[in-house]
Amino acid sequence: MTMAVPGSERFSSRPIDPATLAAQLPASLPVHTVTQEQIDAVDPLTYEVIRHRLWSVTDEMGEALKRMSGSPIVTDANDFDFAVSDELGQEVQVGLYNTMLVGAVDLAIYWTLQHRATNPGIAEGDMFLTNDPWVGGGLHQNDAMVYQPVFWEGELFGWTSAIAHQPDLGGVGLGSFSPAAQDVFSESLPTPPIKVVRDGVLQEDVADVWVRRSRVPMMIGLDLRAKIGSNTVGRDRLLAVIEQYGADTVKAVMKRMMSDAESRLRGKLTDLPDGTWRATGYQDQSHSGDRGLHKITVEMRKAGDHLTFDFTGTDPQSGVVNCTYAGMRGGVMLALLPILAGDIPWSAGGLMRCFDLVAEEGTINNASFPAAVGRGPIGPAWLTGNLVAECLSQMLDQAPELDAHVQSACCGTWDTAVIAGLDQRGAVPTPFLSILMDPMAGGYGAQPQADGMDTGGLFCIPMGRVPDVEMTEFLYPVLALWRREEPDSGGPGRRRGGVSASMAVTPHGTSFPIGLVLASNGKAVSQNNGLAGGYPGNTGVEYIARGAEVTTMLGAGRLPADLAEVGGAAELQPCYGETYVAPGEVFTMFWQGGGGYGDPLTREPEDVARDVREEKVTAAAAEQAYGVVVSNGTVDPGATESRRRELRDARRSRADVGGERETIDLTGARRLDDNLVAVRRGGAEQVACVHCATLLGSGAVGELDLVRYEGPVSDAGPQVVDDAGSYVDGAVHFRQYCCPGCAVAVSTAVVPVDHVDDVTRTSRVLADARS
Amino acid sequence: MAFVIGVDVGGTFTDAVLDDDSGSVIAAKAPSTPPDYSRGVLDVLELLAEQLGRSVEEMLADTHHIAHGTTSSLNALVQRAVPDVGFLTTKGHRDSIFIMNVEGRYLGRSPHELQHVLAQDKDHYLLPKRHALEVTERVDRDGNVVVALDEDEVRDRVATLRSEGIRAIAVSLLWAFRNPVHERRIREIVAEIDPDIYVALSSEVSPRIREFARNSTTIMSTQVGPGLRDYLATLESSLEQKGLAGPLLVMQSNGGAVAAGEAPQQAISTVGSVLTGGVVGSVQLGQKLGHRNIISTDVGGTTFLVGLIVDGEPERDTTTVINHHPINVPTLKVHAIGSGGGAIAWVDAGGNLRIGPHSAQAVPGPACYDQGGTEPTNTDANLVLGILPTGLLGGRKALDVERAREAIKTKVADPLGLSVEDAAAAVHAAQNAQTGDLLRKSVVEAGHDPREFVLYAFGGSGPAFCAKYATHLGVDEVVVPLGPVASAFSAYGLAASDIALAQELSDPAQLPVDAVRPEKNFAQLEDQVRQGLDRQGLAFDRVEIVREIDMRYAMQLAEVTVPVPDGPLDEAALDTAAQRFEQRYADLYGQGTGFSAAGIQAITYRVRGRGVLPFSPELPPLDRATGDPEARTSRPVYLEIGQGFVDTPIYDYTTLRAGHVIAGPAVIEVPTTTVVVPDGRTGTVDELGNLHITRTRNGA
Repeated sequence: MTMAVPGSERFSSRPIDPATLAAQLPASLPVHTVTQEQIDAVDPLTYEVIRHRLWSVTDEMGEALKRMSGSPIVTDANDFDFAVSDELGQEVQVGLYNTMLVGAVDLAIYWTLQHRATNPGIAEGDMFLTNDPWVGGGLHQNDAMVYQPVFWEGELFGWTSAIAHQPDLGGVGLGSFSPAAQDVFSESLPTPPIKVVRDGVLQEDVADVWVRRSRVPMMIGLDLRAKIGSNTVGRDRLLAVIEQYGADTVKAVMKRMMSDAESRLRGKLTDLPDGTWRATGYQDQSHSGDRGLHKITVEMRKAGDHLTFDFTGTDPQSGVVNCTYAGMRGGVMLALLPILAGDIPWSAGGLMRCFDLVAEEGTINNASFPAAVGRGPIGPAWLTGNLVAECLSQMLDQAPELDAHVQSACCGTWDTAVIAGLDQRGAVPTPFLSILMDPMAGGYGAQPQADGMDTGGLFCIPMGRVPDVEMTEFLYPVLALWRREEPDSGGPGRRRGGVSASMAVTPHGTSFPIGLVLASNGKAVSQNNGLAGGYPGNTGVEYIARGAEVTTMLGAGRLPADLAEVGGAAELQPCYGETYVAPGEVFTMFWQGGGGYGDPLTREPEDVARDVREEKVTAAAAEQAYGVVVSNGTVDPGATESRRRELRDARRSRADVGGERETIDLTGARRLDDNLVAVRRGGAEQVACVHCATLLGSGAVGELDLVRYEGPVSDAGPQVVDDAGSYVDGAVHFRQYCCPGCAVAVSTAVVPVDHVDDVTRTSRVLADARS
Repeated sequence: MAFVIGVDVGGTFTDAVLDDDSGSVIAAKAPSTPPDYSRGVLDVLELLAEQLGRSVEEMLADTHHIAHGTTSSLNALVQRAVPDVGFLTTKGHRDSIFIMNVEGRYLGRSPHELQHVLAQDKDHYLLPKRHALEVTERVDRDGNVVVALDEDEVRDRVATLRSEGIRAIAVSLLWAFRNPVHERRIREIVAEIDPDIYVALSSEVSPRIREFARNSTTIMSTQVGPGLRDYLATLESSLEQKGLAGPLLVMQSNGGAVAAGEAPQQAISTVGSVLTGGVVGSVQLGQKLGHRNIISTDVGGTTFLVGLIVDGEPERDTTTVINHHPINVPTLKVHAIGSGGGAIAWVDAGGNLRIGPHSAQAVPGPACYDQGGTEPTNTDANLVLGILPTGLLGGRKALDVERAREAIKTKVADPLGLSVEDAAAAVHAAQNAQTGDLLRKSVVEAGHDPREFVLYAFGGSGPAFCAKYATHLGVDEVVVPLGPVASAFSAYGLAASDIALAQELSDPAQLPVDAVRPEKNFAQLEDQVRQGLDRQGLAFDRVEIVREIDMRYAMQLAEVTVPVPDGPLDEAALDTAAQRFEQRYADLYGQGTGFSAAGIQAITYRVRGRGVLPFSPELPPLDRATGDPEARTSRPVYLEIGQGFVDTPIYDYTTLRAGHVIAGPAVIEVPTTTVVVPDGRTGTVDELGNLHITRTRNGA
């Protein structure tokens, strides 16, 4: 690891109390604000009218950005976001695109107010540009933010901002992604806030410095203008609202929107049980050549109306799988917004007041300069989000009225493939560089009352999109042999995880190999965990059919449907690597589906049969994972019953169950999750299995009485496609906890053998239990 | 004597309007008769004939043509009451329609629903996977055949589908719009096996790049095509038996019409026709009133539809969304921006007043309908405020003011600590402001200044609000179309339509491109359009042809439609088109946002042809007023926050005559709607019976 760099601390932005920040501002920068009396005095009608108008302002900013951008990552995959903030940078209204960015935008504005107010000054007509993940605004250097102060009558009234992922901003790796980087100096240069627009005029010198670093300067130039245009739309609309209703009234509404969102979230938290929940996950490999497993662990404590996310115990920063504080906070937001605030307006400035973050410096999700952070959002921040989602879902699972907000983990990462080469299809050969955006079609996690959405997308980009295959083939010299949903890629469960998809491309229209930079996790250890006994979704896998001659095959009228038919040598790709795919060869990607919910042996057989008919599950997996025998698309009830009995017996026989257990009366039982209930006996609560009434524990005993089994990862089912030994040195196994009475699965996972789990801790489900 | 008849078949009523070449217009309404809607059409024709004092046969013998619009195809799609169809596509890419580009999860959802990610789903597949089959074949971007079509496999697939009872097959192959050879061969093979199977080809239904939208368009067209074919065959033969002289034409989403015989092959192009009927009616009325820029607002009980007419031409779109699927149909642009009179008012957990997005729908409807609804709606607020009469609405329904008061009291007034009246006034005002925002967004995002527009307001619920939301929008003049055809405005639009056809073709290329290629594309498209117009069997006054290209900066998603003038297409003409694109782009997104250094691409070529009919339906003039209008009565009405109830004159529309002027505040009760003329505005009745509401004081 590279030594810390003295002087770099200046660029580490952190949330700051608004009053403290306001007191630091120079007299030369007067800010517009309102008193609590003015906020309280806004009448409900005015509030609703202006709130709606601000929503419409933000919406128009997003539409403008999307329509103006030249980057397919923005236009065809929707990896961008935008916000309107108050004078001190607190986010009033945010977009519905990349929600991780919500955790980073305000950090950059705080930093700008602290470090730019005096020199070079913050003035009307300015716009700033930054891609420094320590400052904020984005989660890695590819996220470039353009933001502007909006003034009213000489006072700083608020901010608008627009952020988008840029395809390449320099550094040694294609697409600014260097899988071998040991520190940030191999990556794109982080640029702290610079004034790119001054007095309403784009500064050519600054713009040139910006685009010069890129391998695709024209696209960066177009996107820079798109973001400026989006901000211009935002300012014009915002000023029109102020003109109509007065600055004080508009500001009072902005402040009230945030405090309303805050109080609604606090109200929801107050109604939930207090407690502590833990989750731990892994990134397999940290850079090219690494064979380690890198852990993020979180303890979520909920007390009253407040949450604390404590990441103490997370591994030290390593390779490229790190993110800054902005990434950790963005990861929390990707889970918190849809799970806790799906029905609360996303006035993020207010929502973010409801939690604290605790993390050690220099760890993989709170990395210190000069750690490499190129994979920040899609590796560690994402994993942070999945773990936070796991904690939140466990908490909400105890509240039956909120079970529509419970969800097993979704696709756990972005499966990166940067492609670059020479397009020889036109009259003039043209170089190209982009990212294959198809892995946007990940699977969603299952919910207590619904299966996970098949190819539903990515949880962190609610309005993400995959490009049409024809657009990919139009833009780049490739032929897509297939892009299809993959049966069995969703984690088995009473509710099934959403399936993911795979894709195969071969060069077409170029005589040169296409360069590839690959980066992905979740190949050795599952990242798409199930809940309440549900199985994890598939592990990811990439291959290159080396030496294949698919062009000849196509010419002969044969269109291969899988890797075996393609021929050549199937070359397994590591999590991180740089390689190529030559004409005639084929590159295949298979990204992650979602985790299951509940024990698959309790899934309605009819639902399994429908899954087989709709090719979400193969008949073989239906038998193996669900114990449902399907022939000709219909359930064989007798065979299913005996198959399920066999599978339960196998669970009982594979581990030492011990003697008979006590069963208890479940009258008046309170739900804990799909399998567990709490029953009050005298003064104390007891935990029991809802299926067989077996007593599993009580508040007086720290550990639940569950039967633990460990076995090879193949026990998880066909969705765990590869042996972990192909990627990492540490051993990985299948681990399942079952009820000693009826053998229902209470927890199912694919984890490193030294993984410390939290399944049997009684205080996980009974807040007042001894721990 | 010659007639043109417009028939609009809705879910509940079938409307018809007849005009003749001497300038008289009559309208009729009959119940719709599902599942065989043709009976309702014949019923309404009987009613028209009665009014003419002729038999149906005598009327039809002099009918130049019948223009027919229908919701039945759209309803069938929305309610998923469509027969099973098969889908054949390129091997490896069947799942395009199941992956739905991921966007199938959220397309067509409201902002409120968009944020609630965990409540979304993709359970709206167009067909089960067993009916979606792959064939071995491949064409590449440049139209080259990379893998030949496996014809034996096609026969197997067709046999499989037939064994499933499939009688209609959608064929959509990758890049077929660049080279349709495999799609056409598949149609031949199907015909060899079973000539009665309906087949639709993507290269004909939607020859446009992006396979997901092309697939879903072709499949939906196949789902409604056979039903439309059977219905129109029945109707056409009934009409022929009764001696219809001219052709039966079917209205399309783009505001034009095609011959009944051609409609089934292009079935999807007819689905949005009912939504656009109001816009077409506004175009026609605008021509009479001399309005070139119109914001058309059609506010019903559950929908609020907005269309724009700019310089006499309705704004067009190239895509729409049905059942969360993108559908490629050239259409008049209609924004659905809210839930109309049924939008529910509520107080959120933060103690704030909110309007919508939920709607009371038709059932149970507003609380005052007394059909079990307990949620307060805009309509309830209007009733409490005295804007709506407590007695009868549209002569049909008694409104229960106590139910309305109760709903507003418990759900809005008590939580906010307001009186029922003040709460109702707040709901009314918030709804006006929100409608203003959404309208502004629709107008401004299309690159226009609302102050340059006249606003037309129709539908049952619009006229009570229109003057207010026009104020929020900055519009000076509002027109409420009243008079003889007001209740059948959409059918009037049909009767008044010219015949329009459009053909398009995707041929994406980076500029500069050799002019030969666009020239060839346009020549081919124009040929198709002219042949299509010839097949209508009508004598046109003249044929107008418009050419356009959808262009964008390199790799942008969004294209901007650019008109291409007549004349030879050379390098200079293409340069001009590129300049127009840049100008239009700057108009839409701001000066300096364009970036020509990235390069400009031409994506889709389109030719629109219009056969102008020798007809111009005249509306009958209203009698001139001889004195000042007389109010029927007065009642306390609460229109302005802060003023409370003010005794307001109530006028009976049926007693008004051309030239009457009514100063606000006033309420005008029309059999089908209620119009509010607020303080500071004046209502004037024109000679066709329409009400013009203009500003007499700034800020009103």
